[in-house]
Amino acid sequence: MKTKLKFLIKQSLKKKIDTKWFKIANILILILLIGIVNIDRVISFFGGDFENSTKIFVVDDANAYPLLESNFNALKDSLEDLGNYELENSEKSIEELKEEIKESDSVIVNISLSNEEYIKADVISFDPIGTITEQLLQTSLNSVKSAYVLQNSGISESEIAALTSNVSIHKEVTNPELDENAEGRDILSSGLILVMIVPFFLLITMLTQMIGAEINDEKSTRSMEIIISNVSPKIHFASKIISSTLFVIIQALLLVGYAIVALIIRKLLTSSLIGAVPGEVTDFVTETLTTVKNTGVLDLLVKGLPFILLLFIFSFLAYAIIAGVLASMTTNIEDYQQLQTPLMIILLVGYYIAIMASAFEGALFVKIVAYIPMLSFLIAPVIFLLGQISLLELIISTVICGIATYLLFHFGLRIYKVGILNYSSQNLWKKIFKSVKEK
Amino acid sequence: MLKVENVTKYYGDFLAVDDLSFEVKTGEIFGLLGVNGAGKTTTFRMINGLLDKTKGSITLDGKPIDYTVTDKIGFLTEERSLLTKLTVKEQAIYYGILKGMDEKTILEKLECWLERFHITEYKERKIKELSKGNQQKVQFITAIINEPKLLILDEPFSGLDPINVQMFMDVIRDLKKKGTSIIFSSHRMEHVEMFCEKLVVLVHGKSVLSGELKQIKKEYRKKNIHIEAEGIDTRALKKVKGVLEVIENENEIIVKIESNENASDVFDFVKKYKEVSKFVVEDATLNEIFLEKVGVTYEN
Repeated sequence: MKTKLKFLIKQSLKKKIDTKWFKIANILILILLIGIVNIDRVISFFGGDFENSTKIFVVDDANAYPLLESNFNALKDSLEDLGNYELENSEKSIEELKEEIKESDSVIVNISLSNEEYIKADVISFDPIGTITEQLLQTSLNSVKSAYVLQNSGISESEIAALTSNVSIHKEVTNPELDENAEGRDILSSGLILVMIVPFFLLITMLTQMIGAEINDEKSTRSMEIIISNVSPKIHFASKIISSTLFVIIQALLLVGYAIVALIIRKLLTSSLIGAVPGEVTDFVTETLTTVKNTGVLDLLVKGLPFILLLFIFSFLAYAIIAGVLASMTTNIEDYQQLQTPLMIILLVGYYIAIMASAFEGALFVKIVAYIPMLSFLIAPVIFLLGQISLLELIISTVICGIATYLLFHFGLRIYKVGILNYSSQNLWKKIFKSVKEK
Repeated sequence: MLKVENVTKYYGDFLAVDDLSFEVKTGEIFGLLGVNGAGKTTTFRMINGLLDKTKGSITLDGKPIDYTVTDKIGFLTEERSLLTKLTVKEQAIYYGILKGMDEKTILEKLECWLERFHITEYKERKIKELSKGNQQKVQFITAIINEPKLLILDEPFSGLDPINVQMFMDVIRDLKKKGTSIIFSSHRMEHVEMFCEKLVVLVHGKSVLSGELKQIKKEYRKKNIHIEAEGIDTRALKKVKGVLEVIENENEIIVKIESNENASDVFDFVKKYKEVSKFVVEDATLNEIFLEKVGVTYEN
């Protein structure tokens, strides 16, 4: 029987992996992942308007250019991703500059003195200037006006510099339950962890659909009768669960591999000409990795990884068992798809609770749900990495999931035995309940 | 030898098989007949170990049915029980290994059978790409690849043209000669008559007729007389004692009589005519026996 089990697992796995569609899908996933991780490089590579710098010609009738330049540059440096600006003190007349900025993004700023407003400015452009440029000029000119007024009121330059500089803020959190990494982890929770659980959500969806399709295929072609007359339903059921779980583990490892390839490519691009092209947006990946390292999440991950992996495997098995049982009860793939909807909703519930875990920090409900099998694999690792539950609590959640998976197999097998050879939907639920009671 | 003894199967309150008993000896072809829903599939499933019996026992060579015994059973289901996405070779390996064979032996046997059925070129082809007839051949090959001691054939000739039916018949006869016990089920009574030495007819799970085919036919009182003669007055013939029905065909008249004793009355009537070229008294066909047995039981 062991040989038959091995054979069935091998066959089932081969049927899933040794197909052109699996290969094509994985090549596409690899390409997409590389693209997503390097999206800024991809955008830069294709170029666009964002590469051009906006030239600002300043016609200074108020002798305020040095103040404007220092304020403008300071503001530009303090705010990231504002684009490229080039400030120039122009000696040309307004009319000459108007000719020069035709068909371009350049802007003319004419600063002049005013009796009522101290300083006023005329902004001239060929096309309407963007909101960002307008805000940048507005803020810089406001500062210039303040500095101009202060300068003319007899205050020294150093005093003016101190007065116009940004107020430095020192942050201190007094909650004794939070460590110094709490803030970083919160930032992380809103992004990285959710990104991490999305693949598992997709893998479970893939797992349930695959197992259902395979069992239905064998049932609808009546091959099941031949198979079950030579191997026990237990061996058959186990082979389906193990092969599907192995498949998603292989797919998960491939995804990790693709992510590493994508990161390596990113690193190579960063040091190349392509990576150095202007217009680069944020380096999200680098920032994220730094955050992971600095917030202590990495340490937690290393500590909890064996249990998190076990929890994932138990959960994969649990979903595979339920999917197998549901598939055995149906006679065609359409019925199975309807029957698996509640399973998908359970999965979605887990996903949304995991998303909300950071917003409702320390919520008792979230902690309770983290112990519920089928949901725990999405929630427990997230709140563990957020520091909301301890390692012991993660272990308890894993053990509960393991026990539940065993019980699901034990009772699910009774339904499976009856279901796989049942081709009628008449009295289906009666048959199912009866089979659960029978040993 | 397969021995089915007093087997009863209930699905809840529904009685599917009622106290069924029969034996299929080594090298014997046994007919299991019945209309749809009579309990044939349930019986096959119990023999294959797919279903538990409510009562009774089933043994093959004295051993109760379990997974060591089912490896020696070949089963050709009425529906196409093939994984259509697999190639012929993959399918043979799949079922062969599940029957406890090794891959090398499976491939050797497969080569022989593909050649015998003239489909060698389809070895690497996916089953879904094959015609119905060729799919049936593949299904048959997968059922016999393990050289089963017991072979269950449920409508084996469905989807086959007459040439292929003959090919299947030859193979079945060869298997019988080699000592395979065969259970044969078909709605085509002429096929059953051609093969089966013994049979059982099921109605609502209960055996209404069983035994050796020859004996059944002999014991069945009604007979058919085939007559070829010129100008026979069929109206008058119908009035002869013991005549149940007169069927006028293109070349002959078939007279159904109550029993063998009435044949002489019919003969006396026919001999008055000058141009009588044929007068043959035959047993009733299995189809007639089946129809009457099944019909009577329904009425009861």
